Amino acid sequence: MNPWELYKKYFNVWESATAQYMEHWLKSPLILEPAGAMLSASMKFKAEADKKAASFWGNIGLPTKQDQERALHKLNQLESKLLDLEEKLAEYEAK
Amino acid sequence: MNRLFNLMRRASAPAPQVGQTPADVVHRENKWRLLRYRPRAEGIAHATPVLMVPSLINRHYVLDLMPGKSFAEWMVEQGFDTYIIDWGTPTDEDRYLSFDEICDRYLARALRVSTRFAKTEQAHVLGYCLGGTLAAIHAAVRPERIATLTALAAPIRFEDDGLLSAWTRARGFDVEAVVGGFGNVPWQLMQGAFHLLRPTMTLSKAVSVIDRAWDDAFLDGFFAIETWGNDNVSFPGECYKKYIVELWQEDALIKDALTLSGKPVRLKNIDCPVFAITFEHDNIVPHESARVLLDRVRSRDKTHLHLAGGHVGAVVSKKAKTTLWPQLAEYWAARDGDRSAKKSGKAAKPGKAAKAAKLAEPGKPAKAARTGKKRGLAPPKHAKVRSDS
Repeated sequence: MNPWELYKKYFNVWESATAQYMEHWLKSPLILEPAGAMLSASMKFKAEADKKAASFWGNIGLPTKQDQERALHKLNQLESKLLDLEEKLAEYEAK
Repeated sequence: MNRLFNLMRRASAPAPQVGQTPADVVHRENKWRLLRYRPRAEGIAHATPVLMVPSLINRHYVLDLMPGKSFAEWMVEQGFDTYIIDWGTPTDEDRYLSFDEICDRYLARALRVSTRFAKTEQAHVLGYCLGGTLAAIHAAVRPERIATLTALAAPIRFEDDGLLSAWTRARGFDVEAVVGGFGNVPWQLMQGAFHLLRPTMTLSKAVSVIDRAWDDAFLDGFFAIETWGNDNVSFPGECYKKYIVELWQEDALIKDALTLSGKPVRLKNIDCPVFAITFEHDNIVPHESARVLLDRVRSRDKTHLHLAGGHVGAVVSKKAKTTLWPQLAEYWAARDGDRSAKKSGKAAKPGKAAKAAKLAEPGKPAKAARTGKKRGLAPPKHAKVRSDS
């Protein structure tokens, strides 16, 4: 057997065993719970920091990033409703 | 040595061209677009259009990977009037975009626009991965415009022994906090999670590439899939909350506990022909989680196709052209609407044609009941079309 084929054979065995071993650990609550808690805690911290920054801009009478996002989202919803109306009008015209 | 030289030569080559099948944008709303692939020169052979609904997480062009390896291109060649939703890239304001807006309003619009263009009442719907879940939920609440439902590796039961199920149920994982912090859930977070499904995959791929570095056709396909795999989109925050909490954590779809725009979602309300396709080595959607759709729907016409291969490879590989794609085409052709009914303004009746065709055994493609004639390609009067080739 040439060396490359031999390498591939052993690599496949190693890969399969390693993947199984890692899957076992990646399912384990010992890993998942602290990882989930760390992610959630860092996100809560970020959300809190964003809130503080937003209240600063709000206090000086400026719209925050979230205010602008909400307004843009409402515009998108409005566009969808206009499209609904256009479709209904087209249906009536067709009748 | 030749292999390595070939790989080095490829390293300086331009990135593969993906999503090349000519298409027109027939509808645009917020970030999503509905594309209609330009029909073949000989005309369309099947009355009922096909609407493809891809996952929200990945780009739509996985179904139009590259010339010669594109499901969309192949469908056009077979004479289908083919549409696909491109969900686009959510921006910051889309953190408020809800699951219901996407699954109900947007999907309903895509169905209305595609059927209006095709001048039919109904369309065949093909949902891939999460797109299949969206299509099944939509079909359970708004079945009117769906001729047949094809769920391609689409999760329906979310509680299984897979890694994704374990991660989303992990204590300490607070979806509210993640969405509150990120807004839209960044694609890097989701891509990282998908890599962790098989952390050794990157090394495996490297060995495969070196092993087949002499094969230019293989390398073309490999780099195209890699381009697609690394071109992900972030998940709208509000939508992500419902997706994770109600679908993954509560498994509400299979338990009939899900609602869509306030209406209960009951899979047993689906009575159109249903085709569930599962893959043996799918480590993202275990096949039993997808096949269970057939146990829950009321349809009499149910088909299950189980194929070898993984979640993506089995759909876009060279082999798919001789295994999966022809079976899909024959399934739709056998259930093509009645053209004469359509011309007289009545709804097309999918299912009628199916009775005339023997079908449904996995692995044994059926003969199409009819292929239909060519028909006009003109869009409806008020339709807006933009070129997107």
